[in-house]
Amino acid sequence: MIKFLLSLFKPFRWFIEKMGADYNQFIRILELKLTMDNRKMKGIGNNSKKETENALMKQSFSQIFFGVFFAMFLIIVKSPFTYYYFAHTFLMVMMAMMIISEFTSILFDTSENVIIQPLPIKGNTISLARNAHVLLYLSLMSFNLSVVSIVVAIIKFGVVSALVFGFTIVMNVLFTLLLANMLYLFIMQLASGEKLKNILMYFQIFIAIGFMLFYQFGFNMVDKTQIRDMILPVYWYTYLVPPAFFSGLVESLTSSIFDRQHLIFIAEALVIPTVAIYLTGKYLTPVFNRKLMDLEQGDRVSKIKVETARKSLWYRMLLGIFVHRKEEVAPFKLVWIMTGRERSFMQTFLPSLGYILIMIAVPFFRKSFDINEIIHSDRYILILYAFMFIGTTLPTSLLYGNNQHAVWLFKTLPLTSPAGYFKGFIKAAFARFFVPFYLVLSVVICVAWGYKVIPDVLIALMAIYLITMLFYYIQNPGFPFTQDKIATQGGAAFIKVMGLIAIAAALGFLHYFLLHWFSFAALLLIPVYLSAIYYVNRVLVYKKITWEAVDKANTYS
Amino acid sequence: MNQQTIVEIRHLEKYYGQKQVLHGIDLDITAGQIIGYIGPNGAGKSTTVKILCGLISDFLGDISIFGKDLRTETLEIKKQVGYIPENAVLYESLTPMEFMLFIGEMRGLETEITRSKAEALMNIFEMKSNLNQRIATFSKGMRQKVMICSALLHNPDLIFMDEPLSGLDANSVIMVKEMLIHLAREGKTIFYSSHLMDVVEKISDRIILIDQGKVIADGSFEDLNKLSNDENLEKMFTRLTGNTNHGEKAEAFINAFEK
Repeated sequence: MIKFLLSLFKPFRWFIEKMGADYNQFIRILELKLTMDNRKMKGIGNNSKKETENALMKQSFSQIFFGVFFAMFLIIVKSPFTYYYFAHTFLMVMMAMMIISEFTSILFDTSENVIIQPLPIKGNTISLARNAHVLLYLSLMSFNLSVVSIVVAIIKFGVVSALVFGFTIVMNVLFTLLLANMLYLFIMQLASGEKLKNILMYFQIFIAIGFMLFYQFGFNMVDKTQIRDMILPVYWYTYLVPPAFFSGLVESLTSSIFDRQHLIFIAEALVIPTVAIYLTGKYLTPVFNRKLMDLEQGDRVSKIKVETARKSLWYRMLLGIFVHRKEEVAPFKLVWIMTGRERSFMQTFLPSLGYILIMIAVPFFRKSFDINEIIHSDRYILILYAFMFIGTTLPTSLLYGNNQHAVWLFKTLPLTSPAGYFKGFIKAAFARFFVPFYLVLSVVICVAWGYKVIPDVLIALMAIYLITMLFYYIQNPGFPFTQDKIATQGGAAFIKVMGLIAIAAALGFLHYFLLHWFSFAALLLIPVYLSAIYYVNRVLVYKKITWEAVDKANTYS
Repeated sequence: MNQQTIVEIRHLEKYYGQKQVLHGIDLDITAGQIIGYIGPNGAGKSTTVKILCGLISDFLGDISIFGKDLRTETLEIKKQVGYIPENAVLYESLTPMEFMLFIGEMRGLETEITRSKAEALMNIFEMKSNLNQRIATFSKGMRQKVMICSALLHNPDLIFMDEPLSGLDANSVIMVKEMLIHLAREGKTIFYSSHLMDVVEKISDRIILIDQGKVIADGSFEDLNKLSNDENLEKMFTRLTGNTNHGEKAEAFINAFEK
C-alpha cells in the first residue's frame, strides 16, 4: 500500500524538484513517515506501544464504512449540483476535523528536528515532505469516505460524472490544505511558545463545539423531503463557497452545460487549488518552518503564569467540602493544578461539556417552543440530569496525557492502598472543572424556575457526583494524564455510555416521580444519595482500587 | 604549525528571547584533535554544539567549518559532520536497521554499503541481534548505541558529541573512549561536550572550559595544570567555575533535614 501511495508522486517529480526539493530524499522521508503511521494503532501522532502492521489498511476500512452512512443520506438527492455540493461540504468538514484533531500535533512536533536537522537535507525538502505527508493522508481519507458516494454517483449520474467527482476530490484536498496552512500561519503570527499552544487548544475546543452545533442545527432541522428536491440557488456569493466550485465543475461535465455560470465554477475549481499548492509550497511552508524553529526556541523562555488559585478562598472552600482525609489532600492539590495546565485534558473534557449544553439547547429551539409552558413544566430536571454525562467524560479525560514517565513516583511512595490517590484525583477534577460550571447553570435555572428548585439542584448534583465517582472507580485505574488516547477506547466504552444513559434516565425519572408524589418527597433522596456516596467513597473504592489493579493498568518506566 | 584549522568560531553570541546564553565565543579547532568541551549546567555547551551542527540557525557572529561559512554552505558542511545528541531521540516504531538505512539514504550512501556498515558497527556494540527489533523496546543505553552508530555511518571528518556516554555500561564506555582515540589518530576531529571530568581528562588533547557563555580556560590539561597546580580536572573545574565551598554546601544540605 505504501509503495502504491509513493508511486503517485512519480508524475510530479518535475514539480517537486522545481519547488527546490531533492526528489529521492523527499520520497524516502515520505516512506519513513508512512511506515511509521502504518505501525501505529490509529491516526497519526500517537505513540502507541502496541505493535501493528497495516494500520493504514484497517483505518481505511473504517473510513469506507463511515462513508456508507453519508451516502445513504445523499442517495435521495436528485440534483447533481446539490449532490456534489453536499459531498464536498462533508469532505471539507471531515478534513477540517482531521486537521484540527490530528495534524496540529504533527505540524507542531519539533522532536524529530534533532534527527533531521544535522543531515544534509534542504529545508524545502523537509517541508515539502511534511506537506505531502499530510496531503496523502487527507486524500486517502477523502477517497475512503467517498468510495460509496462515488458508486452512488455512477448509478445516478453516470461514469463520467463520477470520474470528474474523483478529480475534484483531489482539488478539494489541495484547497483545504492551503486553508489550514494559512490559518495556522495566522495563529502563529499572534503568539508564540506556550501561549500559542494555548490559543490552539481553545481554537480546537471552539471548533469541536462549533461542528456539533452545526450538525445539530443544520442537519437535524432540515426536512428530509426538502433535501430530495432541493436545487441550490446560485447567488453572487455562491461563487465564493468552495464546495460550489467543485460541484459546479462536476455538474457542468455531467450535464454538458457550459454557460457563463458554470465556466466561472470550472475556472475556480481548476485555478484556485493549483495556485494554492504553488503558494503553499513556495511561500507558506518556508515561513511556516522558520516560525516553527522560533517556536521551539521560544519555548525555553516563555513564562507560564503560575496560578495563585491554589491558595485562594475558592480552592480552600472546595477542598474543605470534598476532602476529609489527609491522604487525599496532596493528590487533590496535584490534579487541581494539573487539570488547569494539561491541554489534552481540557481538549477532551471542555468540548464534552459543550456537547451537553447543545443537547440541552436543541429541544428548546424546536418549532413548538413556548417559554411559559417550559417554565411551568419540570423540564429543569431533564437539564440537570443531562449533566450526568460527565460521569463518563470526566473520568476518561483524566486519563489522557503524556506524563507516562512520572508514574514511578506514585509507586515509590510508601502507601498501603492507592485508593487515596484516586479519590483525591477525581474530587479535584470534579471540583475544579464541573462545580463552577454547574453553579452558573443552577443560578440560571433558579432565576427561571424560582428558588423552590434549589433542593432539586442540590440533589441532582449529589447524583452526578455519585455517578462520576462510581464510573471513575470502576474504570481502568490509570494515573492521571498518563495514558494514550486510543488505549482505552472500544466496545467497553460504548457499553459504559449506554449504561450511563440508562442510569441517568432512571435517576432523573425517580426524581421527577417523587416531585409529583408530594411536595418534599424528593428530599427523601438526600439520605439515599449521601449513604450511597459514603458507600462508594469509603468501601467500594478500597475494593476496586488496589495495588494489584493499579499495577495492571500502569507501566512504571 | 602545519595542522589545518577546520572549525573557526568568531564572536559567537546566542540569545533565547531576551536572555543571552553565549557571550562571544572565539575558538579555532585543528584537525585530528579531541576537544573536551566542559562547563557547569546551563553554561551553553549544548547550545554551542547545536549551533555547530545546524540545529539552531539564528546566532550572531561567524562560524566556518572546513573553510566554509556555516550560514551559506550548511549542506556541504553537514555532509562531512556527524552528531551524537545527548538524549537519543529516535523513531520509536522503526528498527535500528530501518533507521540507519534512512539516515544512509539521506546522506546519499548506497543501500548495500549502509547495510553492511550498520551491521558491522552494531556488531561492535554486541547489538547485531537487535538490528531488526523495534527501537521502542530498547533501553537507554541501547538507544544511545544506535545513535552513535548512525552518526558514524558516513565516516564523518568532524564529530560532535553531546554527552555521548550517557546511559552506556562500563564496557561500552571504555570501548567508545578507545574508539575516539583511534578516530583522532586517523585524522578525525572530535568535539566532545561532557560533564564527566575523568573521561575528558583522559582522552582530550585540548580542554575548553566555558561558564556563563564565555570561555574561561583553554589548553591541554598539562598546560592548564602548569598555571594552577590542580591535582585533577575536577578540582580545576570547581575552582574556575567558582564553587569551592562544596563541603559547606553539603553540610547545609544535611542540616536542612534536621530542622
